[in-house]
Amino acid sequence: MTRTQKPPRRGFLPMETNLFDRIFIGVVLFVAIHLLWMRFVEQYIPLTVATILSVVLMYVIAKWG
Amino acid sequence: MRSNRTAWGLLAPTLLVLGFAGLLPFFYVVYVGFFDWNVFSKTGDLVWAGANNYRRLVFDTEFLAALKRGIVFTLWTVTLEMVLGMALAQLLMREFKGKSFFRAVHALPLTVAPIAVGATWRLMTIPGLGPLPYYLRRIGIDYNIGRYAGQAFATTVLMDVWHWTPFVTLTLLAGLTALPREPFEQAMVDGANRWQILRHLTLPMLRPVILTALFLRIMDALRIVDEVWMLTGGGPGTATRYVGIHVWRVVFPKTDYGYGSAMSVLLLYFTIVLCWLLLTAITQARRETD
Repeated sequence: MTRTQKPPRRGFLPMETNLFDRIFIGVVLFVAIHLLWMRFVEQYIPLTVATILSVVLMYVIAKWG
Repeated sequence: MRSNRTAWGLLAPTLLVLGFAGLLPFFYVVYVGFFDWNVFSKTGDLVWAGANNYRRLVFDTEFLAALKRGIVFTLWTVTLEMVLGMALAQLLMREFKGKSFFRAVHALPLTVAPIAVGATWRLMTIPGLGPLPYYLRRIGIDYNIGRYAGQAFATTVLMDVWHWTPFVTLTLLAGLTALPREPFEQAMVDGANRWQILRHLTLPMLRPVILTALFLRIMDALRIVDEVWMLTGGGPGTATRYVGIHVWRVVFPKTDYGYGSAMSVLLLYFTIVLCWLLLTAITQARRETD
């Protein structure tokens, strides 16, 4: 019944990561992108674009990071 | 199947406490961060604000300055505490007269509540009453933390170092005591000097303990409130207004709970990112040297 954890692997990120690490990095970048977007870009492009970009980035990191 | 159920049963009290005392308040703060909530408003209700609190935050120069100040404070205190703590732990590994007495006295600041530490340092630094301004004036230094920003900042750093270095010392001492003797004896037989032993044996073997102490201190220093509040109240001006004090000043007198929650969440975010970056850098450096 014990579930084994997937071993860490190396993707395009410059370190070995497991799924939790990649989700964590994705969330950290999600927040950072939104904060920087609100500070510097939102007056030209709406925040929704940042959300879409961040979700795509999170998926890419979780899948191939 | 039965052992699984027993394990969950044994874990249940801890999970319940963690859930109610840790996770629930955390998610509530995140939730409140997306609302405008002023208890003295007409209805006193939460009003949906979306990302407005965070939008306001990234343009809030006072908050960003407080964050920067907090990071500088953390860098100073944690560096000093780690270096002093390591030196004292190494000292306490040796045999000398009065070692037990010194260890007990050295650990005393840990037993004092932060608010009492702040009050005590306040008494020590009041011009015309405290011993610090008195003795410093005798050597020609005009010491007044109510007037000089640099002195106030340095005093808060000193106070934190005084309070928390024993914690680092005791943590590292526990780690040093648990290390096996053989590699050290072997290194001495091979003619390694003290610096080489420290650099190539003690520090790598002590790495998990050092990291634990380091992260605990970083997290603690970034959210410091009570000691500094008692000592300087965040002043003079905004010289010692670290993030915790800034949050307090915004949340309680203005009852701006939504904005205060957003600030707290952002501080937590910075703390986690800082610790993670540090851990990654140390782990990578270690792999490269191996």
